[in-house]
Amino acid sequence: MATVKLFMQPEEAQYLATLFPQYVKNNGTSFPVSGLAYDAATKETAFWKFKAANYGSGNLTLTIRWYADTASSGDIIWGAQIGAITPDTDSQDVETKSLATASTVTDTHLGTTGQRVHSAAITISNLDSIAADDEVYLAVYRDSAAGGDTMTGDGILVEMELSYSDT
Amino acid sequence: MAVLDATNRERIARVFMRLTSGPLPCIKGDVRAAVNAADDWVDANSSAFNLALPVAFRNAANATQKTLLLCYVAMRRAGILKAEED
Repeated sequence: MATVKLFMQPEEAQYLATLFPQYVKNNGTSFPVSGLAYDAATKETAFWKFKAANYGSGNLTLTIRWYADTASSGDIIWGAQIGAITPDTDSQDVETKSLATASTVTDTHLGTTGQRVHSAAITISNLDSIAADDEVYLAVYRDSAAGGDTMTGDGILVEMELSYSDT
Repeated sequence: MAVLDATNRERIARVFMRLTSGPLPCIKGDVRAAVNAADDWVDANSSAFNLALPVAFRNAANATQKTLLLCYVAMRRAGILKAEED
């Protein structure tokens, strides 16, 4: 038994025509910091696709690494949902495929330094009948319009890890 | 003029969060409360501001010009308004 880990970068994201996070590259003191800047007031979504290589069973765990643009307190709500298609088996039109119900996590800014990197894990339990080697579409959003999302300013997603069991 | 309604105040808060730079160690509710307070203050003091203006300007300028004047003075005092001569 092993855990499969897939890493996803902001540079790989795709978007619909509207309501997407801005890709940003901030020139740090020693290196550039790229990410997707999710607005504090409007729900924005970015999408990734991947092959569920060696997927065995169980929930997916999506770990989001993020930092706040201006805030140093408050809560941020991240959400994720997937749509899984089994090639050659599912007759579903890929362009009209819908996503399963979203799962969310609320992460609290740890303070001290505003732009520190945080890690928040979402357990994706609505799996859309995912099977090994499926073509999977992943949507990641900030539920910024929710009352529980109290953090001001952008939440900048810098990297993600998706993990699952291969048994 | 009455105070702004909830929709307008919320939109100000959103614009503020999008345009502000640097650390902002407070939560959304704090920003919204500050917008409310600022709007209340403007509503309560707009007449006093108008009367504080010299008569010639007061009678000549329209509401938009007076509003911009106040904004420019406040921005310059905060170091965020640059003139071509700077």
